[in-house]
Amino acid sequence: MGRVKIAKKSTFIDMTAMSDVTVLLLTFFMLTSTFLSKEPATVITPPSVSTEKVQETNVVQVLVNPEGKIWLTMNNDTSANWSNEKMRVAVLDKVAEIYNETHKSKPISFTPEQKYTFSKLGAFGVPLAKMGEFLNTINEPEGQTKMDKWLEGDGNPNHPTGIPISWNQNDQTPNEFQMWMKAMRQSDNENLVNAIKDGTGVAIKADQNTSFEVVHLVMDNLQTIHMNKFTLLTALKGAEE
Amino acid sequence: MQIRVDFTPMVDMNMLLITFFMLCTTMIKSQTLTIALPSNEKVDNVENMSQASEDDAVTIILDAKRKKGSMDVDTVNGKVVPVVYYYFGKPGGAAGLGNSPESIAANNNLQVSEFLSNDEKTMQARGIRAIIQERNKDVLTEINALKKKYQDGGFGSLETKADREKAQMAYDEAASKVRKDENLKKPVIIIKSTPQASFGSLVSVLDEMQINSISKYQIDNMTKADSIMVIDYQNRHHE
Repeated sequence: MGRVKIAKKSTFIDMTAMSDVTVLLLTFFMLTSTFLSKEPATVITPPSVSTEKVQETNVVQVLVNPEGKIWLTMNNDTSANWSNEKMRVAVLDKVAEIYNETHKSKPISFTPEQKYTFSKLGAFGVPLAKMGEFLNTINEPEGQTKMDKWLEGDGNPNHPTGIPISWNQNDQTPNEFQMWMKAMRQSDNENLVNAIKDGTGVAIKADQNTSFEVVHLVMDNLQTIHMNKFTLLTALKGAEE
Repeated sequence: MQIRVDFTPMVDMNMLLITFFMLCTTMIKSQTLTIALPSNEKVDNVENMSQASEDDAVTIILDAKRKKGSMDVDTVNGKVVPVVYYYFGKPGGAAGLGNSPESIAANNNLQVSEFLSNDEKTMQARGIRAIIQERNKDVLTEINALKKKYQDGGFGSLETKADREKAQMAYDEAASKVRKDENLKKPVIIIKSTPQASFGSLVSVLDEMQINSISKYQIDNMTKADSIMVIDYQNRHHE
């Protein structure tokens, strides 16, 4: 019997083209991605029919967790004049100035190193009296991890997290949250100041299950310092009319 | 001599990197809802305060579902269930609330509703939306007429993108005129909330304002009469 001879073919597949495609895709994702910034609390924003997109620049985000703790995040424009880093240093200086007006016996001040550390932070929020100590943590081994843990609340009674806030309807005696917001408004960055004025510059981010009491406290504090217009962060819900 | 380089490991590595970037990327941007609140300063001159007339006023009180026999908030699947109370005009209606428990129970004009989307088949509004729509029907009829006109090309053609934007602007202007028209009867909605109500229900009620083209609404604090009515209602409708 004659055998049918099957020609031996190489199983080698040329992967060059595939490699081209994957590199293209990779480039696309690398260029378009904006990383999720690490936040001290995870919240699920409530669904809404509103289709207005959140501002990417010149916005101060007030993150509120269900227990009523507050952290701030700032996103500034990418222009050379007011980069994120520069803006943060300016705000820190300003808030120290406002704080020292009412705390003459225990004034606070920051060293250039501490300011540098602050300019690199993501979300921030510790009582101002503890801010120096908090910023010094970066010099310890694994300082960044320790700072993240402090912000999330590491259970250490010496490490309070969240910007102190209380019911206060007197503009002359601001609490620390109001001091921060005032410092932002009094900064020399006109773009941010204008955004705060027209209401797009302040965004409150709270969980859908957070009680109204907690959100009301934040809103009332903003009203007291005459920031009556602001935005609430929501997630998109299926369009319905 | 032929030189061949095996690219398979290269592809493997690229795929891993792509997966990493895909998972780390946030493609969806958050939406925002702009609200404006009145200033906190006390208004000494009562005449300067805007007063809603009694037939126009609708008060919506947000609350959350409580656990049976307690004031603690109940959750279903990790979500707070909103409860919406509403009343027209003054608390207690024309007769007023009175002081005795009997007169409070008799005059309590608080009613309960819920957040519901439109009926899937008939597209009829349900729940609190139906109530707001009924109160705002004059404005909504006009707005719906404008919407139809827009779809029929009454504000300019809808062919190209530029045309659509132009028509949209003309529509928005006309719609905002209708919303502010003083001759149309429209409600003034006062949104109040108990401390236990969820942030989600506040956003839901603000959504309803947008859906139903309400031009006048405000967020206000609960008064004593409101609290009395809510507690009275809860006591009488206890399961």
